[in-house]
Amino acid sequence: MCGFCLLKKFEKQCDYDESSQFACDTERRMNGHVKSMHFQQLMEAAAALLSLLLVMAVDSTRTVAASRNQECGNSLQQTLKLTRLVQKESVDLIKTYKASQGEMAELFCKVTVADVPDPNISGLEPSERLASISIHLQAFFPHFKRVYEQQTDLQSPTSPLLAELITVSTRSKSLATLINSLYQSLFPNLPVPEPAGGPTTLPPPQNVFQQKVYGCVVLKTYKELLANVSRELRTLKNKVCRRRIQINTLFL
Amino acid sequence: MVLKRVLQLLVLACLASALRAGELYNHLMITPQSPVLEIGTNFTATCMIINTAEITAKDLYWNLSNITVSNKQYTKINRSSLSVTIPVIGEKHEWLFCSCKEVSNYVYLNRSKFKHGIILTKGYRPGRPENLSCEAVQVKMGISSTITCVWEKVGRSSTDVPTNYILYVKELGRNHSNETNGNSAQVNLDIFPHHMPLEIWVEAYNKLGRIESEHLSTDADSFVKTNPPSDIKIISEKTFPTSLLINWTHPLAAEYLKLTYKIRFCQNGSQNWTYVPLVDTDKYIQSFRLQNLRPDIVYVIQVCCKNARRGHGYWSNWSTNATMRTPEDRPTSKPDLWRIITKVDSLNERRVQFICKDPVFANGRIQRFDIKIQDKKDKFKNRSEEWERIPVNRSEADGSSSHREITFLKQIHLADEKSVKVYVTAVNSVGKSALASLLIPDKAYGVRDLAPVEGLNLSSHGGQLWLEWKSPKNKALSEYVVEWAANGQTDWQRENRATTHTVIKGNLEKFVCYTVSVHPIYSGWIGKPASVKAFLEEGAPLDGPEIVDRKLGRNDVELVWKEIPQHKRRGFITNYTIFYTSGTELHSVTVPANTTSHTLRSLSGNTRYDVWINASTIRGSAKSLNHSFWTQKYAAGEIEGIVVGVSLGFLFIVLMTMLICIYKKDVIKENLWPQIPNPGESTIGTWSPHYPLKAETPKENCLSGISVLDVDVCDGKCVFEEDKASLPLKKDKYLSEEHSSGIGGSSCMSSPRQSVSDSDEGGDMADTTASTVQYSSVMASNGYKGQMPSSQQQQAIFSRSESTQPLLDSEENPDMLLQEGSKHSQRFPRQPCFTHTAQNKDGTDPADCHQREMEQQDLLEPLDFYPLEEDSEQTTPTEGQSADWLPAAPVSSYMPQLGGYRPQ
Repeated sequence: MCGFCLLKKFEKQCDYDESSQFACDTERRMNGHVKSMHFQQLMEAAAALLSLLLVMAVDSTRTVAASRNQECGNSLQQTLKLTRLVQKESVDLIKTYKASQGEMAELFCKVTVADVPDPNISGLEPSERLASISIHLQAFFPHFKRVYEQQTDLQSPTSPLLAELITVSTRSKSLATLINSLYQSLFPNLPVPEPAGGPTTLPPPQNVFQQKVYGCVVLKTYKELLANVSRELRTLKNKVCRRRIQINTLFL
Repeated sequence: MVLKRVLQLLVLACLASALRAGELYNHLMITPQSPVLEIGTNFTATCMIINTAEITAKDLYWNLSNITVSNKQYTKINRSSLSVTIPVIGEKHEWLFCSCKEVSNYVYLNRSKFKHGIILTKGYRPGRPENLSCEAVQVKMGISSTITCVWEKVGRSSTDVPTNYILYVKELGRNHSNETNGNSAQVNLDIFPHHMPLEIWVEAYNKLGRIESEHLSTDADSFVKTNPPSDIKIISEKTFPTSLLINWTHPLAAEYLKLTYKIRFCQNGSQNWTYVPLVDTDKYIQSFRLQNLRPDIVYVIQVCCKNARRGHGYWSNWSTNATMRTPEDRPTSKPDLWRIITKVDSLNERRVQFICKDPVFANGRIQRFDIKIQDKKDKFKNRSEEWERIPVNRSEADGSSSHREITFLKQIHLADEKSVKVYVTAVNSVGKSALASLLIPDKAYGVRDLAPVEGLNLSSHGGQLWLEWKSPKNKALSEYVVEWAANGQTDWQRENRATTHTVIKGNLEKFVCYTVSVHPIYSGWIGKPASVKAFLEEGAPLDGPEIVDRKLGRNDVELVWKEIPQHKRRGFITNYTIFYTSGTELHSVTVPANTTSHTLRSLSGNTRYDVWINASTIRGSAKSLNHSFWTQKYAAGEIEGIVVGVSLGFLFIVLMTMLICIYKKDVIKENLWPQIPNPGESTIGTWSPHYPLKAETPKENCLSGISVLDVDVCDGKCVFEEDKASLPLKKDKYLSEEHSSGIGGSSCMSSPRQSVSDSDEGGDMADTTASTVQYSSVMASNGYKGQMPSSQQQQAIFSRSESTQPLLDSEENPDMLLQEGSKHSQRFPRQPCFTHTAQNKDGTDPADCHQREMEQQDLLEPLDFYPLEEDSEQTTPTEGQSADWLPAAPVSSYMPQLGGYRPQ
């Protein structure tokens, strides 16, 4: 078996396992040294060949890292795009909501209501914050359902509000799924985020006014959450994906 | 395989035991039951004998659709099992039967229990669907939640084993599907999953298997086809005559999909779209400025869009047309100035018409042309010629149309020795064009120095006229003007000095003869043109030539025809073919195209001919009207020849006659005017039969008496047979008295013939009376009362004429007159039969004789021979007599005598 073939095989193995890249490189150098011991007369030629192979190995590793980084960016980018879309749709939904609630619609939205999820994202680490996003999004789903039920009683079946509520609700689920998927791809060794405080608590039965206020507050809070998510994802994009590049560079 | 067999046998055993319980069992059983078979493979079925020892496997046989399968395809498994392997062919289902030979009565009586069949359903394995593509279109302000996919079916499908397709759409965490037997299907999602990954594929399946198409795993937005951009507005700014600004509205919000755009534009009426490079427009933009456009042109602009991500999504349809005219600009090219020069009769000057076309880059509506004509010789004298304004009225559409209208500017009469230079400028609402100039040289200069192009050649192909020429190789050559004219209309185009072949860019019509000229321009001076006539496309003439004249002969005719009018020729006449026929055979003659007359030869005289002329071009021919004519009966001069010949012949005859008359005048005179003795010199003497013959001087008183001469000159032939006996006697008498003479010799028989005065009857008389015959006798009486004696009692006085002329019979037979006076009437009819020559006796025609007799009788009437007349009436001869007499009827010879005698 020629040395060149052995080296190639070795490089392939190194490519497959990113974490052991350092060891691979060390072994590659060692292998070159042994060769030089055995073939003194071909020292210079072997060294040159080895150098070339090393350069190629480094280059391929960089390419893999770049592609992974690109993958990270793409997933995050897609998630970010969807967040913006849901955000846009939630804004439109609030407008439609206000328009469909009659007079004093602006007033409804200024009232504070308890039992509505917190729009703020918690956690220090990117993984924690991403997990927080996922949890918060999921926390809103029962509220959307409640609002939809309440508005179904208040609106005509052909009301655009109902359709938009379904759209935002469905899109939010997709966003949550996408964020979970991103979380798992970025942090595969961490557990899937679950709501810490058990199932979401819904408000008790309300009168029509309370329902209108509740619905508006939910939508408004959700919009805030989406704004936070959007901001967080942009930050995460810079942090996580760039860091992964740095990690890859270190291994070189 | 063995395990499978064992399982089959077990199943069969179970079935057999189950059937046995109900007594409705069958002794034969096939496995597998109702199989679905793939066409093109081999199928093996096994038949088992159940619950009977009547038969063994060797008694079994297989039938496939009533055809017994060859036992070569059988495989005996054991004593009670027989399998068969058959190829699966054809799509139609078939029955496969396992039957038993009738080896025993039991088998015969229970035939139905010894037969079992299965149906073979045949089909094809499903093929892998290919070219799967899916699309989600825009509905209102969002993308439809319905995804429509199409694919191509692969492989065949039979009716018994149809292939169905299931379209799968997989979102994150949710799957959707729809089944169809066609090649397209739709899947309805709750909402369109923007920015979400989708996986779409199709599965084809049937009873023989299933197979999936390729999976489309991509962003859901890759399947989006949006509406085209809406509200396209175009803004035209006067300060930018070559630019237009386009604005539009995004069809979809950016949160849904970021779009890229594509723009195209063209001149109004044209379909040659110009595409704006994608590099300039593949951004999320809402406006774009088109540049480098032509001023005053109406442009049509369209926009479309797609997902901005490259390779994803579908281009929308093009937006509706948005049109706008670019602002005007001053003309940026010169007007195209040209002239038409025509001769003026009887004057040493030319008529020059100046015409021009709008500048190629008029950049607006031309409002007028300014023209200035400068005499070359007065150039330095009058430098401030006035510009003449020639307003024109252009329609709105002219600016964008490719057709450049020809404007007549001015007409001048220019002396042959004069030359002028013309300047023209075109003016629109923005400004003036550059000056165009044209030099009209004096006639002599043009002829002397400005050489034409050589080798001008024209050809027509591809619906265009192509020109080719050789350059005059003159350094002063600046450009060429290609001019073409037809039907009084002239058009032209300019070509640069390097051009040696070009195509005529004007709208030429088919079947029209164009005169194409190439004018070399030498530093502004127009050289001599080279001209060629040509057709864009030739056709058959519309009409044949008109035959206008003909010059007929007996065997030839010269035809003259008129050329076909130019507008009806539709091509170059290659030749004329003259067809002519007289009804039996068609002849044709081909004559060159430059001929307008031809002489047809070798025609038949006095014959009707139909003639027509075909005028031919390379594309066909046209026939003239039929022209008919009769060739003449006589050739020219033939009649004249005949007339002259006849005249000459007549003249010759006349001359000959005259000559004969001259030379034979004595004979003629003798015949026509015989010498008649002067009766005045004759004397009458007393004569008696016994008186010796001697001449006596006739007495004066006897002159008035005329005796009838009864002369019979008939010879033996014309006398009666009974008279023949007396002939010798007559001969004797003739011989004895032949020298006697008598009066009345005025007859033509005064020749010295035998003046026989006796007749047959005379012969008879001789027999009855006396044998004495007198040649002539003159009966003298006191007064002549007639030639017939009135009575026998009248005392006859015989007197002998002293004339030397022979005597007439009457003169010589006075006795007969006296004695048989009554018989004169019988002799008289014989007188007309008297012939003056003996030779004529035989040839006398009785009818002629009789006619003459009658004529003479008529002639005699006025002579008052009444007694004779009476005799004639009274003594009409009997038929026998007349028949005998007529052949010998002599011609009377005394008639002239009577005529000449009357004055006496």
